[in-house]
Amino acid sequence: MHAAWVRVVPGVIQRLFFAVAIAIFVWFLPAYADARTVVVGVYENAPKIFTGDDGRPAGIFIDMIQHIAKKEGWTLKYVPGTWAEGLERLARGEIDLMPDVAYTPERAMRFSFHSVPALSSWYQIYAPRGSAINSILDLNNKRILVLDGSVQQQALARLSASFGLQCTFIAVADYAAMFRAAARGDADGAVTNRFYGLRHAKMYGLEATAVVFEPSDLYFAGRKYVSSALHAAIDTHLAAMRTDHQSVYYRSLKRWSSEEMRYVIPEWLKMAGLLAGIVLVMSIAGSVVLKRQVNARTRELTLVNQEMERRIIERTAELAEAKERAEEADRIKSAFLATMSHELRTPLNSIIGFTGIILQGLAGPLNEEQSKQMGMVRSSARHLLSLINDVLDISKIEAGQLTLNAEPYDVRAVVEKAVAAMRPLAEKKGLALSLFVDPAVGEAHGDQRRVEQVLLNLISNAVKYSERGAVTVSVSEQHGYVPHGEGATRSTEALRLSVADTGIGIRPDDMATLFQPFRQIDSGLTRKTDGTGLGLAICRRLAGLMGGEIVAESEFGRGSVFTFIVPRDVKERS
Amino acid sequence: MKRTILLIEDNEQNRYLTTYLLRNKGYDVVSADDGHAGIARAEEGGVDLILLDIQLPVMDGYAVAARLREGPATSRIPIVAVTSYAMAGDREKALASGCNGYIEKPINPETFVSEVERYFLNSGTAERT
Repeated sequence: MHAAWVRVVPGVIQRLFFAVAIAIFVWFLPAYADARTVVVGVYENAPKIFTGDDGRPAGIFIDMIQHIAKKEGWTLKYVPGTWAEGLERLARGEIDLMPDVAYTPERAMRFSFHSVPALSSWYQIYAPRGSAINSILDLNNKRILVLDGSVQQQALARLSASFGLQCTFIAVADYAAMFRAAARGDADGAVTNRFYGLRHAKMYGLEATAVVFEPSDLYFAGRKYVSSALHAAIDTHLAAMRTDHQSVYYRSLKRWSSEEMRYVIPEWLKMAGLLAGIVLVMSIAGSVVLKRQVNARTRELTLVNQEMERRIIERTAELAEAKERAEEADRIKSAFLATMSHELRTPLNSIIGFTGIILQGLAGPLNEEQSKQMGMVRSSARHLLSLINDVLDISKIEAGQLTLNAEPYDVRAVVEKAVAAMRPLAEKKGLALSLFVDPAVGEAHGDQRRVEQVLLNLISNAVKYSERGAVTVSVSEQHGYVPHGEGATRSTEALRLSVADTGIGIRPDDMATLFQPFRQIDSGLTRKTDGTGLGLAICRRLAGLMGGEIVAESEFGRGSVFTFIVPRDVKERS
Repeated sequence: MKRTILLIEDNEQNRYLTTYLLRNKGYDVVSADDGHAGIARAEEGGVDLILLDIQLPVMDGYAVAARLREGPATSRIPIVAVTSYAMAGDREKALASGCNGYIEKPINPETFVSEVERYFLNSGTAERT
């Protein structure tokens, strides 16, 4: 029963249970040893009694005695050995009970027996299939395997003798060895009890013969004079069990007498099976879960994908729209600039024009004050015009509408022209304006008007921001210049046009915003420096368009050096 | 014989200014304040040079120049664009539409007339003939 119960319990719990059971067992051992320890002999005679695969005694007798022990509160102790050893131990008083003992008058002399038989059995001869042993007479001149020292041997000997048969008996230690030998053909037949035969014959390729003899009742044999109390308890329980068809007795019989070839699965295999089962279930569950997750994830990803696609399409549309808007804005800006340029110049045209006419005296003579005031009008109008021109210039550059001519020009001539244009103002301020041109400079190719515009701006600034000292313009070659601006990567021959002044200089903080539009720095001389605030921004952009750059260096309070670097060969830009 | 200059200009002050400067130098000036009137006047004959504003209502200067170039009576009259347009390609556009020259506004009253004079047919300095 215990074994049956164990079978249905999963491995881990089983182990745990054993551990706990053993612990409890060890703990209570002394107490129960005092109460009643019954020592039971065990030998190999499956299925009646044998050592199970787990090393623990099993079988019909064990089921019975365990049931009884449980009811009686006995502690069972097993002593394994052979059948003969078991009987010997019982005789010597080393064990209390020897199961599976048939009653014989001789045995009754040595051992005690209870009254209710535990099992009823008989002997039967098993032979290899097709042995043609159909009756006791067929045993003549046959070699028959018998269990050493057993009742059957004597019985069969008597039986064969009574029929006048000549049989050779081969004694073997246990039934398993006997059946193996029979299966090998070492003998013609083997005698076992019906339980063993029923259970094992097929396994060895043997079959039951019609030779049945010596029906016997089997008991738990006890020690003479000592085991009466034990036997009384055994009788009580056996009697009860034999009347109850649901009892351990019948269940055990049914379980152990099954003719079906019972293949006992080894414990490790069960464990492995269980484990494999668990693993399988887990992996199936796992794969199901995984599949679901994968599906869910796939769905998620599909959704994400769709969402992304949607967003990309949306974004693309947005970008296209934004681009269109930007382009539209550009067109509007250009149109606005053109219109503004026209609208601003139209009135300015008449202001400057009529002022000029009046100042020329074409419309009649002017007195001194009138001349002075008309001069101021003209000056303001011209400043306004330069503002408009600068705004237009920078707008053209930023709208990509500025064109560059490409013609050969004489560098010295261009520089000299710019210097000459600024000389009156410099002289007026008492500044020395000097020019140094490296004779190697020679001719260059590009938009001379734009080069001049940049240079004029730089010289004009230098003069504007210097109160004393000198403005020095120097022109030299720069070899191996890596151009800035659009598409220029190779080093090239360039020109350096430097304008150095001894003016107010630029604070380091202002250097960063120097080239930004409308960032006329706070010079402290605001009244005197009436620029548009666009000059340097335009210069830098123009220089960039030409593949060059403008580099500013300054020491605040000491002066500045602006260097315009322009490639010798600037491509046309339209 | 006095030369006659046709001025096509929509802004009254500028029309007055230009007329004043040219008359001051002894030219006959006739004017029109839009393209159609200008073309009509040019077709009447007796015009030696046309000063053409580009930014005109209804029909812009480029179209006026093109029409003048097509008309048999006007195709040989020098046309000088006077414009405050200063965007990229404006000059090229003006020349492409049939103008002989291009003067940017605002004009310089001291040099304006001499600039215009370069474009008379017999002056030999026209950008385009």
